[in-house]
Order: sequence, then structure tokens, then C-alpha cells
Amino acid sequence: MSTTNPMPFLRSLIGKEVIVRLKWNKTEYMGILLSTDNYMNFQLDQTKEIIYTKKNGIEQKSSELIGEIFIRCNNVLFIRELNEEDNEISKNGTETKDEDGDSEVVEEVIEGEDVVVEES
Amino acid sequence: MSTVQTSHQQAEEPLDLIRYQLDEYIIVKLRGSREIKGKLQGFDSHCNMVLSDALEYIYNENDDEPMTKKSEMVFVRGDSVILISPIIE
Amino acid sequence: MLFFSFFKTLVDQEVTVELKNDMEIKGTLKSVDQFLNLKLDNITCLNSAQYPYLNAVKNLFIRGSTVRYVHMNPNSVDCTLLQDASRREAMVQAGK
Repeated sequence: MSTTNPMPFLRSLIGKEVIVRLKWNKTEYMGILLSTDNYMNFQLDQTKEIIYTKKNGIEQKSSELIGEIFIRCNNVLFIRELNEEDNEISKNGTETKDEDGDSEVVEEVIEGEDVVVEES
Repeated sequence: MSTVQTSHQQAEEPLDLIRYQLDEYIIVKLRGSREIKGKLQGFDSHCNMVLSDALEYIYNENDDEPMTKKSEMVFVRGDSVILISPIIE
Repeated sequence: MLFFSFFKTLVDQEVTVELKNDMEIKGTLKSVDQFLNLKLDNITCLNSAQYPYLNAVKNLFIRGSTVRYVHMNPNSVDCTLLQDASRREAMVQAGK
């Protein structure tokens, strides 16, 4: 039985393509994770900014950002590794709901203060 | 926003990216639909910063032209900062 | 502590503070603390038409957390000194 703790999980994402979602404005940043620190600040490369806006259905508005960015830790809702489906989304330009299903495990780190634990 | 940086430093920590940007122009995205471009003169681990030759852009809900404000020397409080990116002018 | 020292060098200079509630206050910086709380003397409100609350106020205390920007005279800032201090501060922080 192996456990994955948050900080080792983040370190394992370094060098991989990730999506960081912010708490505000339905904004996400997709890019290669360059580094992180003890506060969970992030540094991304080749970053693409994705903003979700609703106009007669759901549209995805995205624009290419300048290569490297630093994201201040307090803005982050979660960070996850990019998977096959995400490439589909960014190609088609339309947002589809994340159909994870039960068979696929999408590992996400959710920032502590926003976590709500529900007893089932 | 201008050209893409083709090379990047493999820094140990995210704050190192900012340290390399001292005396360079950066763009900072802030809470309240604001962006500020300026030359980085100083910063700390809270992302408090001092920028010189700064230009602030204030966006509104419609996609109009943003309002701009100039400042020769401005201190920006770190808690408003969302992200920081280098730019090449 | 870096910006605490920075603001101490600006005491007795005129600054313009823009708050997160969009008020802009120009005055003489008299005092600062480690939280970057500020005391300004002899203030004028730059948007007094929109915010007539401070018409009768001469001196005030501003809680640091409410500040968005502080504008200052560029001549009062030693940029090389500030850049060096930031580099040193960043090295210290990286070690932690």
C-alpha cells in the first residue's frame, strides 16, 4: 500500500505538462512545470492561458502567453497533470466536461484551505 | 505582450525566476482585472515589488480598450499579485 | 524586512497611496512598521469628489493590508541598492 503525499506528488510533476487552475475568474494555465517551493508557488514554461467564458453555451477562450510565468501560491485552486482528454479540448476549442469515469484516476492536488471533506 | 522567450533557466525555486528579472521589464497580473508592466527594482518573498517606469492596465467587463495609468516608481503590495512574467522589450 | 527598510528611507517624503477600495491619498509619509502599515500627515484625497470621507482629515493611519500601490518620487529610490538588497533577500529565502 503506497501513499502519495502532496509535496512528493508536486515534485513528481516537475518537467511534466500540467494544468493549474486558479480560484478566480475561471482561469487555468497549461504548461510545463519548472519548479515549486515549500509554499507551493509554481513556475511554468510554455504557458497557455485558458479562460472559460459563458456565451450561449460554453466557449473556451485561450491565448498564448509568454514562455515563463511565476504563479503566486495563494491563487491556486488545484494543479493536475495533463492527460489525453485535455489535448482534445485545447485542439477543438470547446470545453467538454471532464469525463473521468471510475476507471481513470486523475491525480490532483487541491490547496488545503479550499478542501471540504464530506462524510458519506 | 511581446515575443516568446526561447531559452529558460532551470531555477531551483520559482522565486529565482523573479530574482533573474531584476532590472528587467516584467508584466504582473493583479487581482481586480489589472496588469502592470514595469522594470523590476526590488521584490521579496511575499511578491511585494517596486517597479520603475510602470504602466498599469485596468480592464473592464466588456473587452474594450483598458484604462492605462503611468507611474515612474511604484510599490505593489504582494497580496494582489496573481502571476509574474518576464517580457522582452 | 526588506520593504520595511525601504519605506523607512522614504519617511518625510511625499507619497501617493492607492488603496484596494480605489481611494487615492497623497501625503507625507511619517511612519511605517513591519506590516507596512503607514502613517501619513497633511493628506489630500485625490478622488475627493467620489470619496468625500476624508475632507476633514489631516493625518491618518493606513493598515498595510489595504494598500494596493504606493507611488513615490523616483529620485528618492536608489535602484542599485534596492536590487542588491532583493538579491540578498531572495538568497536568504531560498535557503529556508
